Amino acid sequence: MTSVQPDLLKGLSEEETARFLALGVPTSLASRQTLFRLGTEADKAYLVMRGRIALTLPIQIRGGEEEVLVEEKLPGETVGWSGLVPPHRFTLNATAAISSELLSFSRASVLDHFAAHPAVGHTVTRNLAAVIGHRLQVFQTMWLREMQRVVEHRYS
Amino acid sequence: MVMFATILIMSLLAVAVCAAAFGAATRGEAQPEAQPERRLVLEPPRFFASPAAKPAEAPGVPVEMLLSQIERHVRLEQAAAEAYLDLPTRDSLHSRTESPFLN
Repeated sequence: MTSVQPDLLKGLSEEETARFLALGVPTSLASRQTLFRLGTEADKAYLVMRGRIALTLPIQIRGGEEEVLVEEKLPGETVGWSGLVPPHRFTLNATAAISSELLSFSRASVLDHFAAHPAVGHTVTRNLAAVIGHRLQVFQTMWLREMQRVVEHRYS
Repeated sequence: MVMFATILIMSLLAVAVCAAAFGAATRGEAQPEAQPERRLVLEPPRFFASPAAKPAEAPGVPVEMLLSQIERHVRLEQAAAEAYLDLPTRDSLHSRTESPFLN
């Protein structure tokens, strides 16, 4: 199990953290085993407890489709937040880079818990927004850097 | 009568000269419009990019190596983006990396 405070649970008390983690269902993945696939319905979010989860996107190379690593999630980090955010479809492929353990949280159990403990819901939702916002900012910056190079290449 | 015939002939001559001058003038104006058509016929068909602008391919590079280079590029670009977000400046936004695709 991870010894670091999960990114989704920052700001919760020990008791609140323990109660929330108790909602999770332990899930083990062998190396290279798929957690979820792009485009499929997302009804769970995951916390990485041990191991490493690779997030990949398909890319066409010489007529064939290959998976390109875009991000790796380590213990304490959240994977599959699409399970909590509409339209509830995964937008990446997730695979265990090595043998890994996660806690899976069904959307229904999380929302019920938030309804019963609004303060916890507020804190977790803020943490979730930070995770999503960081992803957005990183990819926005990467996109802008790439656009700058396209402009330099085509119009310089 | 002779005078009337002279005026008539002179008038016809003037009309003929004016018609010839007008014809020459309008032929001169029409020429530039015809030029683009001739250029379209003479040039080879081009769609979104000329063949010369196509990037050079490296068919000898194995797919595994290409994937490894792409992943290295993504990691370096992600690190550069994270560094920019830590301390946003115009310079750090477009900082160069050691990516194999950029060097």
